[in-house]
Amino acid sequence: MRKSAFLLPAIAVVLVSALSSVFIVDEREKALVLQFGQIVKVQEEPGLGFKLPFIQEVVRYDDRILSRDLMPLEVTPSDDRRLVVDAFARYRIADVVRFREAVGSGGEEAAARRLDSILRAETREVLGSVTSNDILSTDRAALMLRIRNSAITEARALGLEVIDVRLKRTDLPPENLNATYERMKAEREREAADERARGNEAAQRIRAQADRTVVELVSEAERESQIIQGEADAQRNQIFAQAFGRDPEFFEFYRSMTAYQRSLRPGNSTMVLSPDNEFFNYLKSDQGQAASQ
Amino acid sequence: MSGNSGGPWGGGGNNGSGGGNDDNRGNGGRRPNNDGPNIPEIDDLVNKGREQLRVLMGGGGQGRSGGSGGGGEGPKFTRGTVGLGLLAALVLWLFASFYTVRPEERSVELLLGDFLEVGDPGLNFAPWPVVTREVLAVTTERNIDIGTSRSGLEAGLMLTGDENIVDIDFQVVWNISNPEEYLFNLANPPATIEAVAESAMREIISQSELAPILNRDRGAIADRLSDLIQSTLDSYDSGVNLIRVNFDKADPPEPVIASFRAVQDAEQERDRVQNVADAYANQVVAEARGEAAQILEQAEGYRARVVNEATGEASRFLAVLNEYQQAPEVTRKRLYLETMEGVLGGVEIILLDEGNGEGQGVVPYLPLNELRRNTTGGTN
Repeated sequence: MRKSAFLLPAIAVVLVSALSSVFIVDEREKALVLQFGQIVKVQEEPGLGFKLPFIQEVVRYDDRILSRDLMPLEVTPSDDRRLVVDAFARYRIADVVRFREAVGSGGEEAAARRLDSILRAETREVLGSVTSNDILSTDRAALMLRIRNSAITEARALGLEVIDVRLKRTDLPPENLNATYERMKAEREREAADERARGNEAAQRIRAQADRTVVELVSEAERESQIIQGEADAQRNQIFAQAFGRDPEFFEFYRSMTAYQRSLRPGNSTMVLSPDNEFFNYLKSDQGQAASQ
Repeated sequence: MSGNSGGPWGGGGNNGSGGGNDDNRGNGGRRPNNDGPNIPEIDDLVNKGREQLRVLMGGGGQGRSGGSGGGGEGPKFTRGTVGLGLLAALVLWLFASFYTVRPEERSVELLLGDFLEVGDPGLNFAPWPVVTREVLAVTTERNIDIGTSRSGLEAGLMLTGDENIVDIDFQVVWNISNPEEYLFNLANPPATIEAVAESAMREIISQSELAPILNRDRGAIADRLSDLIQSTLDSYDSGVNLIRVNFDKADPPEPVIASFRAVQDAEQERDRVQNVADAYANQVVAEARGEAAQILEQAEGYRARVVNEATGEASRFLAVLNEYQQAPEVTRKRLYLETMEGVLGGVEIILLDEGNGEGQGVVPYLPLNELRRNTTGGTN
């Protein structure tokens, strides 16, 4: 019993020492072995690592691509119009030793804060050197690349590798937003008024064309009608001339007879006649007036 | 008593089996979010080692003392119970080491933290605790919504190249193409995808003008967006596959949408006014055509009437003339008398004999109307 009572803690101590002298580095991590705060070993490859138990400690850092979103930031491009910009960065802890030396025990959070200020400064500088039209254009990708490239050098001092910097928002500040809305509204109103005016213009043109067509059609018809009537009158005259020309003297007599018949109507005429009239030739004598005289 | 001896094992076993597969799978899913997954694991290991050791020591000691001929501690630990315990441990270890991968999933196995292999669907073996695994649903489609409807006013409002503002909602649908890259390369893949997608959309919008975004360019924008997002994600070796981009909304922002509607109204109004004018034109022109036809027909009618009348009158005259030429004197006289008969028969006649010169001057001054009245009065 005494033996086993002694053995038990001994084995426990050995086991604990053995376990504390190995450590596992995950695929997602890099590890530093520190001895009283001093870096003695860097383990970047995943797998099993060894250290002295109790006096050395392991610090692990993320080996994946980390992200950092920048708070919205107001920049003034060279044409003095302000834009609200926010960006995000993708970066990775490339050099753990330098990272540890630069950041100390603050770790990734402290590094992210320092990266923030680097990115803010670079974004301001790069976007401040161009006009706002350049930012709102196809140059944007090139600008992002410029921000990235200058951030890379700055961040290298922190042991960070900046992989990508991208702009998200490039918007007008809220106080300019309303002005923009008003401008958009005014543009739309102009467009609407234009549409209406064009509609009225077209309608008026259509009506005018229709009215003109009406006048053309009617007057053409009237012209045709006059021509036809003229032809008809000519034909009539021709017919009459042909017929009456055969004996003009008789025509005169005949036509006079017809005219008397038509013009002297019962009721509207009173005639004062002398008995000497030819019609009364036989009124006084059967020999006729000429004969009686 | 076997229950007693099983007690500590049972407790340990529950850690392994009760939590078992599910617990580990859960861990696998959660693990990318934990920054130091290995520390608790080692603690776990140490604790388990201690526990194992304690039991083994106890068991071995008892076994020996039991073998030497009955011990003071009592008959608790027999060879049988130890064997049973070991068997139970083996079973639990097997439980912990075998796991299933469903068809939509892949597993990633790590040998002491180092990438070992990707496990296909089916039964997989990862000897605990040397090999750990994480199971991911790879083919499942996942959505990320970006825009006003999801994250408030700011996110969906984007500035276009002509300095207008457009309100955009879209959805990114993605799955995992490479589980190893997905797990090990990006710290927070969904957030990265969202940020990349928003950035890409804003980049495209800032290079375009408002009008095409609102209508005809939507398909083209969605295509460009997919390309841009995918190439950016590929540059991170993210292991993410973009399936598609759903363009939900591209509208003018709320405060100006009424004006845009007003433009549409104006377009409708324009069409309406034109249609009304067309209707008027059609009606009026048709009426005019009718009127023209009427005028022409009337003229033709006039021609027919005049010609017919003339022809008829001429024929009649010719007929009479023909007769007259047969016997001119008689016919002439007859025509005259017949006409006079007709004319004088209806007309009121005052027959006045002028006498022979004496009363000649009277006729012009004769008050004919008075005379007429007298004659009628006389008859009365």
